[in-house]
Amino acid sequence: MQEERFPGHPFLPYLLILPSVAVIVIFLVVPFIQSARGSFFMTSAFGTRTIYVGLRNYIALFHSSYYLHSVLTTLIFAGFVIIIGLAISLAIGLLLNQKIRWQGFYQVALIWTYALSPAVAGTIWALMFAPATGIVPFVVARLFGGYVLNWMTDGQVALLVVSAAATWKMLGYNIIFFLAGLQNIPKELLEAARVDGAGPWRVFWKITFPMLSPTTTFLLFVNMLYAFFQVFGLIDIMTQGGPGNATNILVYKLYRDAFIYMNSGSADAQSVIIFIVIAAAAVVQLRVATRKAVYAR
Amino acid sequence: MKKVLVAGLALVLLVTMTTGLALADKVQITWWHAMSGPRLDVVNSIVAGFNASHPTIELKALYTGTYPETLTKFIAAYRSHNAPNIVQVYEVGTQTMLDSHAVTPVYQIPGMLGETWDWAQYVIPITHYYSTAGNLWSMPFNSSTAILYYNKDLFAKAGLDPNKPPTTWKEVEAYGQKLLASGVTKHVLSFGWPGWIFEQMFAYHNQLFANNNNGRTGLATQVLFNGAFGQMVLSTWTRLAKEGIFLYGGPEYSANQAFEAGQIAMLIQSTSSLAGIEQGSQFKVGTGFLPRFEGYPRGNSVIGGGSLWITKGQSKAQLEAVWEFLKYLAQTDVAVQWHKGTGYFPTVNSAVQELLTEGWFSKDQNYLTAFLQILSGRRDTPAATGVRLGPFVQIRELERTAIEQAVSGTMSPKAALDAAAQKANELLQQYKQVNG
Repeated sequence: MQEERFPGHPFLPYLLILPSVAVIVIFLVVPFIQSARGSFFMTSAFGTRTIYVGLRNYIALFHSSYYLHSVLTTLIFAGFVIIIGLAISLAIGLLLNQKIRWQGFYQVALIWTYALSPAVAGTIWALMFAPATGIVPFVVARLFGGYVLNWMTDGQVALLVVSAAATWKMLGYNIIFFLAGLQNIPKELLEAARVDGAGPWRVFWKITFPMLSPTTTFLLFVNMLYAFFQVFGLIDIMTQGGPGNATNILVYKLYRDAFIYMNSGSADAQSVIIFIVIAAAAVVQLRVATRKAVYAR
Repeated sequence: MKKVLVAGLALVLLVTMTTGLALADKVQITWWHAMSGPRLDVVNSIVAGFNASHPTIELKALYTGTYPETLTKFIAAYRSHNAPNIVQVYEVGTQTMLDSHAVTPVYQIPGMLGETWDWAQYVIPITHYYSTAGNLWSMPFNSSTAILYYNKDLFAKAGLDPNKPPTTWKEVEAYGQKLLASGVTKHVLSFGWPGWIFEQMFAYHNQLFANNNNGRTGLATQVLFNGAFGQMVLSTWTRLAKEGIFLYGGPEYSANQAFEAGQIAMLIQSTSSLAGIEQGSQFKVGTGFLPRFEGYPRGNSVIGGGSLWITKGQSKAQLEAVWEFLKYLAQTDVAVQWHKGTGYFPTVNSAVQELLTEGWFSKDQNYLTAFLQILSGRRDTPAATGVRLGPFVQIRELERTAIEQAVSGTMSPKAALDAAAQKANELLQQYKQVNG
């Protein structure tokens, strides 16, 4: 028998969580149901005509080479941002965690990218890589005998540049968390390992990395959400999905279909698919995280 | 503290009530537009002038974001019965607006108010673009077209006559080779709005871009841009890219930067960039007509920009106020002010005349180029008037993608255009299914 927390007020707990439930219902559940319903229709821009099309919006998506290409692009992009981004952040985090001169300066210098708005970050990178005036194509042309680096026409370069920009933008955030995680690792454990004769490499893999796993799992999840959804602004500023759809990741394609092309049925279907995929990924991650991550100390 | 608060609240209440009273006898109308930057100042000063000269009307102009954002907001507002009286829509949204059942065509407004209006006072190629079956549906407002910009200093350095821009694509190539050989630039030519420039080439040579007379006698159901003409255009551009003459500069206005920095010698771009380019460049800027392909018929360059649409279902008083504003925009001085402030075409003939007599064009001939181009072109064929497509935004992007794929060498021009056309035709069918 569980103890009653609010004796004499059986409905109080429900009343107290009502605001959060209301927010979730109004801003998440209701729009989701509307999207799910809309995905079975084709609608004219002004909503004056609506045709029931059953699953045709979904079927059309899976037959569309553009959509499948967008899925592939998203996976490459997210893979880059998550794996390379977290690896670099962890490496920088380890370096910053040492007792060095100017430590505070380095910490701020490496973290501040997170404080930039996507618009500013996107503009900086776009200017750096501008085909005729940017510094990077200039240096590349000098180094490689006049090679023209044009990310406005070269899709692979564009995807790489956007991925790099997105990774760079997220570095600050990741580093803060890794630093916090690293500083929470008890010094005694590290010292004990060193006394036992373990080298730095072994200490890292046997102690630091496992002890960091709660942080890593959390960052994995946050970075996945970032790579799938929050990079929207960066893509919009830098490439608008181009050239030739090379950087047209799912969330950007969804936005264009819904708000630029006025094709709401297809956009609804896409949002339902993204929702299902992300929800599944979240469940898997949380399962793995609770099983594998070392929370105890 | 409390007293101050109460007094403050009372004051706020009083002020809102009195302004409410003051406005009560004015007809209030709203206008949503997408003019930002220096254009916003011109819009605001025109609105202020209108309100000052029309004491019974209060026009509120609201910047509602980019063109697509403004259209999206308008649709949402219309569906929730909250729409503004006037909305500015970009030219690619024209078919969407025609099919919206949400607007009152401007040609009907004078009749509804018991007035007559002389539609011939507007510049014809512009009204043609926004007309259906000879009737004007939206009021031309900010109209532009594409012209060739070139760097006179670089031309001179390369031993070319700085007063002779290339007039054909063959000359563009020859000039380009000369500029490259002289070493004054690494690349020669770039475009803004690549898909739009591609469309320009069709109209400029009187070639149909889509069936059903460019979508002007019925909804277009098939694009024609992957035919022989389109392939020839894109093959030419691809060859220029291989020779290092053409440098693909990205969508919209991103190529302007390279031109203003003197990295390229020629730029094909909207006339609406003229003021910006002249201010941003350290060299003498020349302008010329779009280059032609020899041996093809003459058409005209296409109008771009936006127009004003009038929301359906307004009260008579509001419609009268809206009509007053549309008439105000057609006043010579207002049209002249708009042109001088932005570089967009003035939409009425009287303003063109006024600009000529006051010597505006002899001060800066570059402002004349676009006029001569559209006024010397033909205006009697749907092909020269420009294409009208339902899913136009999307199809223009498909064109851009095809251009990117061809000039970067990832696909042959024909394969890239065929792929784009196939997708475009699917979209046209879908559009017809929902809107037809």
